[in-house]
Amino acid sequence: MIKLESAHIEEVRGIRKLDINFGKGTFAISGPNGSGKSGVIDAIEFGLTGQIGRLTGRGTKGLSVAEHGPHVDKTKFPDAAFVELKVFIPSLGKSAKITRKVSAPRKPKIVPADADIKAVLDETADHPEITLSRREILRFILVEPAKRSEEIQTILKLEEIGQTRGALNTAQSRLQTAHKIAAGQVQASRDTLQRHLRIATFQAAELLAAVNERRVALGLTPIEKLTAVTKLDAGLSETGKAPEFNKASVLRDLKALTEALGLLPNAGKEEVASILSSMARLESDPALLDALQRRALIEKGLDLIDGPDCPLCDRPWDDEEHLRDHLNAKLAKSEEAGKLQGELLKSGSDLARYVVRLLALLGPPLKVASGEGDAACANLITAWTTNLEELKAQLISMDGLMGLKDRLASGWSATPKALPAALKALAGKIEAKPDQSATVEAQTFLTTAQLRLNDYREAMRKNEAAKIASASAQEAYDAYCRAMEDELNALYEAVQEDFSEFYKAINEDDEVRFTAKLTPSEGKLDFNVNFYERGLFPPGAYHSEGHQDGMGVCLYLALMKRLFADRFTIALLDDVVMSVDSAHRYQFCKLLKSQFPNTQFVITTHDRLWAEQMKSAGLVTAKTSLAFHSWTVDTGPLVESNTEIWDEIAGSLAKGKVDTAAASLRHHLEYASRHMADQLGARPAFRADGNYELGELLPSVLSRMKDLYGKAAESAQSWSNAAAKEIAGTRKTTLSSSSGAMNVEQWAVNKAVHYNEWANFGKRDFEPVVSAFRELLDCFRCNDCQSWLYVTPKGIPESLRCPCSGTNMNLKVKPKG
Amino acid sequence: MATLQQTIAKKFLDNLSGSDAVNASRIEQLRKLLADGKKVKPEDLVKIFTAAEDGDVK
Ligand SMILES: Nc1ncnc2c1ncn2[C@@H]1O[C@H](COP(=O)(O)OP(=O)(O)O)[C@@H](O)[C@H]1O
Ligand SMILES: [Mg+2]
Ligand SMILES: [Zn+2]
Ligand SMILES: [Zn+2]
Repeated sequence: MIKLESAHIEEVRGIRKLDINFGKGTFAISGPNGSGKSGVIDAIEFGLTGQIGRLTGRGTKGLSVAEHGPHVDKTKFPDAAFVELKVFIPSLGKSAKITRKVSAPRKPKIVPADADIKAVLDETADHPEITLSRREILRFILVEPAKRSEEIQTILKLEEIGQTRGALNTAQSRLQTAHKIAAGQVQASRDTLQRHLRIATFQAAELLAAVNERRVALGLTPIEKLTAVTKLDAGLSETGKAPEFNKASVLRDLKALTEALGLLPNAGKEEVASILSSMARLESDPALLDALQRRALIEKGLDLIDGPDCPLCDRPWDDEEHLRDHLNAKLAKSEEAGKLQGELLKSGSDLARYVVRLLALLGPPLKVASGEGDAACANLITAWTTNLEELKAQLISMDGLMGLKDRLASGWSATPKALPAALKALAGKIEAKPDQSATVEAQTFLTTAQLRLNDYREAMRKNEAAKIASASAQEAYDAYCRAMEDELNALYEAVQEDFSEFYKAINEDDEVRFTAKLTPSEGKLDFNVNFYERGLFPPGAYHSEGHQDGMGVCLYLALMKRLFADRFTIALLDDVVMSVDSAHRYQFCKLLKSQFPNTQFVITTHDRLWAEQMKSAGLVTAKTSLAFHSWTVDTGPLVESNTEIWDEIAGSLAKGKVDTAAASLRHHLEYASRHMADQLGARPAFRADGNYELGELLPSVLSRMKDLYGKAAESAQSWSNAAAKEIAGTRKTTLSSSSGAMNVEQWAVNKAVHYNEWANFGKRDFEPVVSAFRELLDCFRCNDCQSWLYVTPKGIPESLRCPCSGTNMNLKVKPKG
Repeated sequence: MATLQQTIAKKFLDNLSGSDAVNASRIEQLRKLLADGKKVKPEDLVKIFTAAEDGDVK
């Protein structure tokens, strides 16, 4: 896998044009909701995979990368939307540039186009799960076990494995049915042969006795041993075989059929009853029927998938994988229907065996009827045979079975009414013929016996092949299931350990003895976690939402670690870490640093404080973080940058866009005062929800800074440091005059006047507002490094300083004495 | 590192060669089918399992 060096994004999602330098390391992007963070993640994901999970994932019907990937103003020019990523491939020690246009998501331009580079990029493209978004995170944690199994299977890319297993299962059950039918065929052809031979038990000795009696009568040598190639009529001259049939045998065939017809109303009764009761269950539960019908349809669809268009409804998908995921998810929903389907198919194939037997009984009489020129009877039998062949095929397929309800209820065989009489007439006709001479009887006995033995041998051969096929398919299916279970269990066990360890690391202080258990079972994955040593419970039972979110991230990390091992070089965490509650964020940063030192995390958060915490925890630096302060449809994300904000505002004003400039200024002030309140330890009236308004925050920051400058001056005085006193004093004066100019102190009292009005200002009126605030904010910065000043230590500050030490004011007064 | 699917496929084929229900030539065909990387269809499998084979039919 890869690491990101840099990205150039144009006209993708909410972004117009943006360059980000990731520098192969962990990187933070912060900004309020709607400022374009996910747009960046989408763009990177698109650059790497050609997909955008947010547009093509579950529950995103009607969205597509092609239509909704480009910036809304460029939908007619999708060529303008592209992402250019510079990536580094640690395993190869090579860098490469990948450029992907929304108009050609599957045809990225890769430079250099080395085969090894392409292979790594192909692999990366195959793993959209490097992106974890907030929408997905709780999927692993709170969902019911069957669904979780599905979700985790998706992340593990198990659908391919599931597909293989499903195909093996389908093959196995088809071959099992085929074997059952083949065995029925053996039984039927044996009955036919035995009836002709008139032997009580089907044994070689008896068979040979019956045959040899005729052979001796004809002066032929008796057969001593029955082998696979024995010919019962060996030695009979061609002319000796002349007569069409053996009268006695034909009469027995007709009788057998007639008797069977009499028994038909009861034949297969149990099977029919079972099929009909399953059908009744389906009818009383429309949801089940629906699931079943869709199951058959979806199975067919899965079979037919060949490219990204749905084979069932032609709806175009972004790619085959999403389509398959979608269909598999639907399929999984119909577990019960699946069981019912198994029962139906079993009874169906059992009943098919009766059909096979009946068909075997119809063969000889048909031959006779044709031979005797009894067209009416022959047609009756032919038509019925065709009909029964159809029935047999229907009985072994789901679609077929579903159409058979009426027929099964009214007697599956659908015996032609005229048949018994026709058979009777035919038998009468045969009986009326003169008895055959002993020679002819013996000759036809042998020829017919040989023909039926051939049929029997053929049926045996087919059955043997079917048996082997079925047994090997069964064995293969079992072997695959075993392999899958073993590997998955091992994986889950490893994941469960990692998960517990990670989660413990984050919650070091309050859940020391934390353990978790992932228990896979048929299509389900139970997940239980320890709650303060009170036992194992589903995460949703007692844990707070913050804890659950933390669990989601930990489970994700554990899965990725086990899946990719040393190839886990990048993860895009889109607004998923903010939900880790604030007390545990520092540990979370530590976890990422210590457990995944070789993984580049691109982390977005809408929580400013989180962004700052990542910096102070050393996960990212000022260089490896980016803050958006706002977003407009014309500009895309506006990057928070101390120096550029004023250029941006000036730019908007130059275009006459006072409202845009006003919004930018306001966002910047919001950001700056919040940040300064934190850095300086300002004391606005406490709010439990943390939703401080600019109108209360900025005044409190101002008064805090005045205090601090006052203290610095006092301290300098006590140390007799005139230069320092001068600096602190000047800063304090400038601060007072700048804030006075904007009446900022009044804001808390009179909230509505300020920025709401700005939007209505003319350009000329607004320019002074901008420069006044710029001056004001400069009072909070170091003149050398432009950084915001901060106090340290936080509790009882001893100095007010900046990172470069260009500004460093002592706050401690010299002790007296 | 092999992917999970590859690991499972390998274990599967190992499992199979240890049993005598499936002959060597079928195992070989299965290996090829799985190595292909394409999705496995029931029809392909049925073909492999039903292919006439010397020594199959006694
Ligand atoms: N294709 C698009 N064209 C234009 N704007 C878009 C497009 N897709 C999303 N946006 C907008 O981009 C803005 C930033 O969205 P998003 O990246 O989701 O923000 P964040 O993740 O920071 O909350 C939103 O206002 C959103 O409506
Ligand atoms: Mg977002
Ligand atoms: Zn469809
Ligand atoms: Zn400085």
